[in-house]
Amino acid sequence: MGRKTEITNLLANLPRLGAGLAYREPFRAELLQKQPEVDFLEIYGDRYIDAPPARMEELAVLSEHFTLVPHFTRLSLGSAEGLDPDYLEKVRLLIKRLNPPWWSEHIGFTRAGGVTLGQPAPLPFSKEGVEVMSRNIVTARRAIATPLILENVFAPLVWPGGEMDPAQFIGEVLGYGGCGLLLDVANLQANAAGLGGDAAAFLDRLPLDRVVQVHFSGCHESKGRSVESRSQPVAESVWQLLDAVVARAPVRCLCLERDDNLPPLGDLLWEVERARALGRQHKRWN
Amino acid sequence: MELALQQKLVARLCTDRAFREEFFADPAQVAAHEGLTVAAEGLASLHPEQLRQFARLLRTRRLGEAGEALPLTRRALGFRFADLFKAFAIQGLPPGEHMGEDAVAFVNFLEQQAVTQPLEPAWVRSLARYEATRVEAEWLGRRKLVVRQFPHALRRLLPAFAAGGVPEGDFSGWTLAVWCCASSGQRPRHWLW
Repeated sequence: MGRKTEITNLLANLPRLGAGLAYREPFRAELLQKQPEVDFLEIYGDRYIDAPPARMEELAVLSEHFTLVPHFTRLSLGSAEGLDPDYLEKVRLLIKRLNPPWWSEHIGFTRAGGVTLGQPAPLPFSKEGVEVMSRNIVTARRAIATPLILENVFAPLVWPGGEMDPAQFIGEVLGYGGCGLLLDVANLQANAAGLGGDAAAFLDRLPLDRVVQVHFSGCHESKGRSVESRSQPVAESVWQLLDAVVARAPVRCLCLERDDNLPPLGDLLWEVERARALGRQHKRWN
Repeated sequence: MELALQQKLVARLCTDRAFREEFFADPAQVAAHEGLTVAAEGLASLHPEQLRQFARLLRTRRLGEAGEALPLTRRALGFRFADLFKAFAIQGLPPGEHMGEDAVAFVNFLEQQAVTQPLEPAWVRSLARYEATRVEAEWLGRRKLVVRQFPHALRRLLPAFAAGGVPEGDFSGWTLAVWCCASSGQRPRHWLW
């Protein structure tokens, strides 16, 4: 069995979770009451690393009521200086505790030369960038057996001297790393707009057979550019892109992200329901 | 090796405005000073506006996390919280390795600022220090016993926030706050007098 087939089979066996949202603390009590309306919760895993006992108690309550999928930013798989072994061990312990169907990180770096960015920065679209990601992915996967999926990052910053286009870079990283894709459609749209391209055309060049999870969220305009701010309702253009992705990719779940300017939970659950219906329409789940 | 140096440089460019300006005044020299050789010329063509935009994005995310760690301070300061955080973040001090460290560093900055530009109302300074101390005690957990005195009546101030809005009054008085944790992994006990 070829490596590509092996990876495709691994991803095909992942459960179909449905539509859910990224957990935000202000919704804790209400979410517990509205559990049937949310198929899963994505948790920001870094929030629970070295966290105080009260937050770990919160995590225990959430895990009793929801399927949790941990999403990380600070492991920094794109760091050329390598992974922080202490942080990797903490990530491993958290994942062991949650036993999720998969976990996710970014195709980018958040740590370099003693500076922690807190938000993933893009990598140069180069062979060296692919090699760094591959090396760190191998280290992470040796430590953590749970399937790893990687997210395309918002990349307003383009490194000079790229050796391949962004879609090809993502494909190379996923291919060498043997990982699924967490496709952020708002990032995709914002990046395509920033590069003066078309998101649908960019989509054509991505390895859509690797898509496991999709992030969708609202964007805002800043200085004439679309910025994924997670502070607005999901725009119609994002819904259209989401529809195109779900129609073509074997997605296992759709996850709504909202960080700021939080509306009533009901508004978010309406967007979750719309995403769930989209998945049903394309027969991704029942 | 070269990419590690490039990432170090980009990380600084995204978090340190003064360094960014210095870099764009003479990119080749700064890149060479940072030990970059092969890619120095390439990095010199980094787009300044792209870097600024990414720096703003990082700052927005940091602001959100600091607000989460210091919820009452954020509420008390209102829109000034974001303005003050921006003044703090552009100084070039990146967020710490652990979540919560940024919030503590921000409160240190607020206290330094308050020496020359007092915060209004005056109790905000005590409130910010109280929340930062709580983050240190509960999150960063470096000490088993934390004792701190505040020059305002936090025992009256903190419950006043529960009603919503921002409490009015000078809340004069003194407060002694104690956090005590028998072992890591346990919720610290907390007292206010």
